[in-house]
Amino acid sequence: MFILRFLARRLGQGAIIIFLVSALIFTLLRVVPGDPVRLMVGGMAPDTLVEEIAAEMGLRDPIYVQFGRYMGKVLQGDLGESFVRPASGAAVGGASFDDATRGERAKVLDLIAETAPMTLQLAVLAMVFALMVGVPIGVWGGLYPGRLPDRLALYTSSLFVSLPNFWLGIVLALLLSVKLNLLPAIGYRGFSYTILPALVLAVEIAPFIIRTLTVSVAGVMGQTFIDIARVRGLSRNQIVFRHALKNSAVPLLNLLGVQFSMLLGGVLVIEFIFDYPGLGLLTINAVMQRDFPLIQGIAIVTAAVFVLINIAVDLLATAIDPRLDY
Amino acid sequence: MALDMGAAPETLLSVRGLSVAAGDRPILTDISFDLAPRSILSVIGATGSGKTVLARALASWLSPPLRVTGGRILFRGRDLVADPAHARSLAGREIAYVGGNPAGALDPTMTVGAQLVEKLRAVRPDMSADDARKKAIRLLEAVHIPSAQRRFHEYPFQYSGGMMQRAMIVDALISDPALLIADNITQPLDVTVAAQILKLMRELNAQFSTAILFICSSLPVACDASDEVMVLHEGRVVERQTPAALVARPGHAYTRELIAELPTLWQGGENGASRATDRERRAIMSVRGLAKAYEVRARGQAGISRVQAVRNVDFDVFPGDNFGVVGESGCGKSSLMRLLTGLERPDAGSVFFEGENVGAASPKRLRELRRRFQLVLQDPYGCLPPQSPIGAILEEPLKIHRIGNAAERRDRARAVMAEVGLDDSLYRSLPTGLSAGQRQRLNVARAMILEPRLLIMDETLSALDQTEQGKLLDLFDKLQAQHGFTYIFISHDLTMVRRVCSRIAVMYLGETVEVAPNERLFFDPGHPYSRALLSAAPTLEERRYRPEDCLLEGEPPSPIDLPPGCAFASRCPHAFDRCRTENPALRARGGHALAACFLNPEPDIGLHETVTETPHV
Ligand SMILES: Nc1ncnc2c1ncn2[C@@H]1O[C@H](COP(=O)(O)OP(=O)(O)O)[C@@H](O)[C@H]1O
Ligand code: SF4
Ligand SMILES: [Mg+2]
Repeated sequence: MFILRFLARRLGQGAIIIFLVSALIFTLLRVVPGDPVRLMVGGMAPDTLVEEIAAEMGLRDPIYVQFGRYMGKVLQGDLGESFVRPASGAAVGGASFDDATRGERAKVLDLIAETAPMTLQLAVLAMVFALMVGVPIGVWGGLYPGRLPDRLALYTSSLFVSLPNFWLGIVLALLLSVKLNLLPAIGYRGFSYTILPALVLAVEIAPFIIRTLTVSVAGVMGQTFIDIARVRGLSRNQIVFRHALKNSAVPLLNLLGVQFSMLLGGVLVIEFIFDYPGLGLLTINAVMQRDFPLIQGIAIVTAAVFVLINIAVDLLATAIDPRLDY
Repeated sequence: MALDMGAAPETLLSVRGLSVAAGDRPILTDISFDLAPRSILSVIGATGSGKTVLARALASWLSPPLRVTGGRILFRGRDLVADPAHARSLAGREIAYVGGNPAGALDPTMTVGAQLVEKLRAVRPDMSADDARKKAIRLLEAVHIPSAQRRFHEYPFQYSGGMMQRAMIVDALISDPALLIADNITQPLDVTVAAQILKLMRELNAQFSTAILFICSSLPVACDASDEVMVLHEGRVVERQTPAALVARPGHAYTRELIAELPTLWQGGENGASRATDRERRAIMSVRGLAKAYEVRARGQAGISRVQAVRNVDFDVFPGDNFGVVGESGCGKSSLMRLLTGLERPDAGSVFFEGENVGAASPKRLRELRRRFQLVLQDPYGCLPPQSPIGAILEEPLKIHRIGNAAERRDRARAVMAEVGLDDSLYRSLPTGLSAGQRQRLNVARAMILEPRLLIMDETLSALDQTEQGKLLDLFDKLQAQHGFTYIFISHDLTMVRRVCSRIAVMYLGETVEVAPNERLFFDPGHPYSRALLSAAPTLEERRYRPEDCLLEGEPPSPIDLPPGCAFASRCPHAFDRCRTENPALRARGGHALAACFLNPEPDIGLHETVTETPHV
């Protein structure tokens, strides 16, 4: 019962968040300088043509009118069409052109649906790498605060933090791909193309995991129930693996939720460097081309993912620690 | 046939010349004693005398800087100091330990039952999970945990303090240990629960033949609990006798002093009754028909329940009074305190402070009023910010209320420190180094720096031992004489209330069931619940109310969705039909005493107290 009420409440709040995000992005896109129509028709076209096309597209209506029209469609599941990108199948299928400047355009939803799984794959792999490195180092550091493992954890995370990701990306690409020929680096033609960018991302995330875990494990290890567990007759392994880790999991979970949302929102720099066809690359191109519908669509989807991840994190956290109420 | 089979070891535990030090400072010196199987030995001593260190040394649980510097701990003839591996194998199996702070003793993310089973199977790996579960439930029943079957599946935070302490006793006994070390297990508990736990411990001792080392800081409790009492003073054993002999012929100066200073309930001595209440003046605080309910969502249950934390509370506090509010934990004392100080607004009724309704005051007005009534909380739960120096802590309220400049504030802080007996050199130190008594002094100093008229003390002294309590009570007296403070003491400690309060309100399930002058409450209580509290109070005196007649089983019912009628009816030995349908209101019994029980005769209309202290309907 509670879980239904919880879900209803949180999804309701989520809808409001998504609405506000869309309104904000929508308005910002239209008030900052830069006219998409000018980019579409090219610099040489006369101003009258630009105005004509813009009016035809509804871009000269008041913003709230445009927004109302847009949200009406969004509610029906239609995120609109890209300003600039052709539908991929259109050229082959020989669809009819009724306008020289406005061909069959790609659906925003399709563009996102093509690229999102790529980013998801990259994000999950990066997360797995980061956890594989971060959890052992972080837990070990937390078990011996102030001692060598703790310092190692600190050094490792400082080192990771201080590596600029674009630089690391380039170095790893040169080393692993060009010199040693171990992994492919640029573009995407199979799973192995995900590994290199995921590694770079993992190096970026791991310090957060290490830091969160050392702090929370050390905190839990100082608590009474851990101290007393020894006189109650529990073994060291039971204490660490059944009690300390479980109790340190909630802060980690919250962190992972935030990090994962950020990864899914598009890892701009990394996808750009590796020319990885994910949401991030799509976003960069959309922004450079002032492709309003695409930018808006990406924003809405990202906001929705963020909301859903947060709900999932809170549900998991209550499952781990029953004191946290929905 | 082995010859030593018949020669059962006479002693279970034999401590020889045990010394423990923290770094270079000796904490325990040359401790020697024996404990026979199946016997109960109490250890008493002042705070800091080394009781806890002794308990932890015996449980092989010392952590740096504490270390054993000499001597032997022979358990069944084997030395635990020399053989730490053997000692570890006994922990939780043969030697069990229960501490005084059950809160936080179990993992908050696992059910109590799962942890009992986990512990039992850790020390007895051959036992099946199912057998372990059955045993845990059987023991939970044995310690009178209500509906043990269901409670088995609940989490630690769903247990009350008393229930948690009982669960920890189960946890200790579940492996059938030969020795139970109980360090101050009744200290944090209400008297009625503590009395039940002691009774239970003796039953378990008889039933499971566990020897018990019962460490405690209250002489009456120690005498009540044990076969023999050992007195620890500054890390040394100074005497050991049976309780009767110890009280009759104490051998050491410390014991003599302890017995002489023991506060009494009935045998005269210093008490708050001598304090004349000035009823001619206007009441400084006047509470009428106060009620507050909280809405809670019970887990796994549909809908919202209302917890009636405070209901029908009525009393007057007169200037210069020491007013006491007593009752078991969960009876609404702390909720009442929040209403009195305006931290929360009542659902019904009113709190008048010097004629002004606190419950209806604007937030700005409340802030001004708070200068004149201050709250002193119990500290163990950390209400002192650990990072700021003592001087800054004291000056903060002055800053908030924009009083004086920096130099004036500093002088004021120093003056108050001197008044409460904190050394001037502490001005720049952090509160972390303070002893429990010093922390309480600091709390009091912080409250009185704004020169309030009324001080509300919420369990302020309950964490201190008898000697420290005595010193602080003397300090309160002195401050009262100098500044004309009025005190409200919220407490579960009847002995303390008897000693200092002139008038006392007894609360049960959110209601004031009795409001009476000190003398009257202790010699002629008007409510069966007050008699139950008196019967459970730890004392060496001849009891006026015998536990067999008055003591309650179990705990107060949950304040959620209370049945109609007298709230006490489910536990009252005298309940009759009317009690289950109608709720008795506070009625005057003459001599400024009021009680809410049908057993009292109907009052004559016109007694003048009915005018001053009955609810306005
Ligand atoms: N971990 C510790 N480190 C240093 N000193 C300690 C430690 N634990 C206790 N002590 C000191 O040992 C003495 C006895 O403490 P304790 O056994 O807790 O007393 P009791 O239990 O009788 O109140 C005190 O002076 C205390 O400051
Ligand atoms: S009114 Fe009845 S139930 Fe309540 S205390 Fe009196 S006798 Fe007991
Ligand atoms: Mg102690």
